[in-house]
Amino acid sequence: MTSRLARFAYRVAAMAGKEVLHIRRDPRTLYIALAMPVVMLLLLGFGLSFDIEHAPLLIVDGDHSADSRALATALVDNGEFSLVSAADPSEVPHVLRRGQALAALVIPAGFSRELAAGRDGTVQLLVDGSDGNLARSLMNKVDAMVRVAGQRRVGFTGTPPLQVQVHTLWNPAGDSALFIVPGVTAYLLAIAAVLLTALTVSGEWERGSMEQLFASPVGRLEIVLGKLLPFLALGMLQLLLVVTLGITVFGVPIRGSLSMIALTGFFFLAGMLGQGLLISVLARNQLVATVAGALSSLLPSLMLSGMLVPIENMPRILQALTVVVPARYLVHALRTLMLKGGGFAVVAVDLLALLVFAVAILALATLRFKRRLA
Amino acid sequence: MTTRAPVWAVILAAVVRKEVRQTIRDRRIMFLLIAAPLIQTILLGYAVDFDFEEIPTVVVDLDRSHDSRMHARRLLADRTFRRRPGGTSGVDAIAPLASGQAAAAIVLPPGLQSDLLARRPSQVQILLDGADPNRAMVVAGAAARYFAETTEELLRKQAAGAGLVPPPTIRAVPRALYNPTLATAPFMVSGVMTMLLLIVTTIVTAMGLSREREMGTLEQVLVTPIRPIILLLGKMVPFLVIGCVDVFLVLTAGVWIFGVPMNGPASVLVAGTLLYLSCTLGIGLLISAISKTQQQAFLAGFLYIMPAILLSGFMTPVLAMPAWLRTITYVNPVRYFVEILRANLLKGAGFSDLWWRLLALGILGSLILFVATLRFKKRVG
Repeated sequence: MTSRLARFAYRVAAMAGKEVLHIRRDPRTLYIALAMPVVMLLLLGFGLSFDIEHAPLLIVDGDHSADSRALATALVDNGEFSLVSAADPSEVPHVLRRGQALAALVIPAGFSRELAAGRDGTVQLLVDGSDGNLARSLMNKVDAMVRVAGQRRVGFTGTPPLQVQVHTLWNPAGDSALFIVPGVTAYLLAIAAVLLTALTVSGEWERGSMEQLFASPVGRLEIVLGKLLPFLALGMLQLLLVVTLGITVFGVPIRGSLSMIALTGFFFLAGMLGQGLLISVLARNQLVATVAGALSSLLPSLMLSGMLVPIENMPRILQALTVVVPARYLVHALRTLMLKGGGFAVVAVDLLALLVFAVAILALATLRFKRRLA
Repeated sequence: MTTRAPVWAVILAAVVRKEVRQTIRDRRIMFLLIAAPLIQTILLGYAVDFDFEEIPTVVVDLDRSHDSRMHARRLLADRTFRRRPGGTSGVDAIAPLASGQAAAAIVLPPGLQSDLLARRPSQVQILLDGADPNRAMVVAGAAARYFAETTEELLRKQAAGAGLVPPPTIRAVPRALYNPTLATAPFMVSGVMTMLLLIVTTIVTAMGLSREREMGTLEQVLVTPIRPIILLLGKMVPFLVIGCVDVFLVLTAGVWIFGVPMNGPASVLVAGTLLYLSCTLGIGLLISAISKTQQQAFLAGFLYIMPAILLSGFMTPVLAMPAWLRTITYVNPVRYFVEILRANLLKGAGFSDLWWRLLALGILGSLILFVATLRFKKRVG
């Protein structure tokens, strides 16, 4: 009994050893596989942010009064906007269409006369609506600043009767990197795992070396495990790299359990490797495997995982679809573990889902593997 | 005498015919090149929505008075928030945030009504889940807006009660041009189109060529009298056509399903697409020229594609990037194409608005193609 187990382990180890040799012989692939997550994390951590400082704002002052100038100054002075000047309102569409400004504030002639007469002053805010998200946040910002400017004008300095105190938990500075890094981790792991497996395994089929393996006494489960183990190790190494970089460069806190991070990452990688294997079993061709792998893993883990776009904003059908996107669970687990803290209890559902996915897809891949043997 | 096509044209046609046959033979790859982009566009068009509505919110009303209930109701009347059960004390409010069941908690303090009546300042507390800063910003904005309006209203009432004329205020009347409902889909469809074109054309070109090298068929073709440049052209033509078909399909889906307007001149769209495809195909070629195997070609392709997409302004605005990254985006063809598409489709921009972006694409495209051809010739010779 033990000897059978020992033989099994020996064969798996032999397969894994062979795979490691393959990887070592082509160091360029190894370098890319390790350098890619690092480069990407740096680029994305620094580059992905929704918050624009100094958004270019066009101010058309048709009033030329002390009031209108004070309003313009109030908007530009606190650094939220950078000023683009224009003489008359007819230029507004031009400037917005070319993207030279994101919004235009038009102060009409007679603005200060209205205020002096004790009536409310109205200014017009034209926003480039093509990016709806950006437009909405610009509208809110300008609205608040104009209100404050109005209160300051009438000399209101007392305490407002209803004060609002906003506490942002876990990320008080609104740092985009803290949001992006846990999300990007899932994305980077998915790419490396699915595509590398899909490519190497379909490559063996393309070159005919898979048939040689079948001729040996190695069983299908042993082949599958032996093939996946080195990539699993590579994936865990990537996870370690990315997390270390997140902590040191971007100051991502690890408030939760580090072992839970490793465990969720492990389950996720197992599932992704299984997906890559399944694709390669079905495709048997590197080109088809790549495109299929990219479309089935990359885009869903980017768009349907909640990494950038919140899942609760999606239509019901797509929300239901995200249930089978493993990246969704990893993103949630990593965000919770890194930013909010906690251990097994907070990520139990994610762990279970990832485990179910991994086991199911690995079983499916192994089964399909057998059929192709015949 | 019948006019005969020049020899190079005949050869080119032959190479194109061979490539088309080879591509069509594998049904799966045709499916991936044509149907998959369409499916993805539709899926992602629905998936990406940054319009935060009905954010799950816990209201902790510690005052339980007429005023506190009224403020809670009015705050929730806006579609921004959706009330979630739970939270009877301030400490309780954090638990739903930690578990992710709610994204915001509003704590109305005890004595709110009596404080307001006695004109003592009263403090409302808002707790936000900062894990998603984007959403936190929207919540904070909506709440701040409500309370700013309420404050003004209260001040006016107080002034009126004291027999004073309320002071005039300033209002900004907002209007969104080009996309009045601020829908996300028209914006995203153009981005998705750019991304899919990049993936499909670059990767397929890069891997297709390195596959031929791997299998040794490239050498076989090279011993024929076909000049390398003709061979390259012939290999790229089918993918240029597939790229154009993809643009047409995705755009049709965008217009029909997501209401993407086509406000600008179509000529700019066509010119932009061709210039962009010359860049993406050129990069695919360059990648295949520097890689030995399909695996390397694919990895190099992704090493290029991912930053190119994310530094294009497709998801997050270029203006929000740090200055050094923004400088890099100037050599990113994806950035120009995203901008051209959006300005043309949504804002109706024409040649006079977009000429320098088209020029930049043209320059990048010819540079890339030039270098790629040189490298390819060197490899072959």
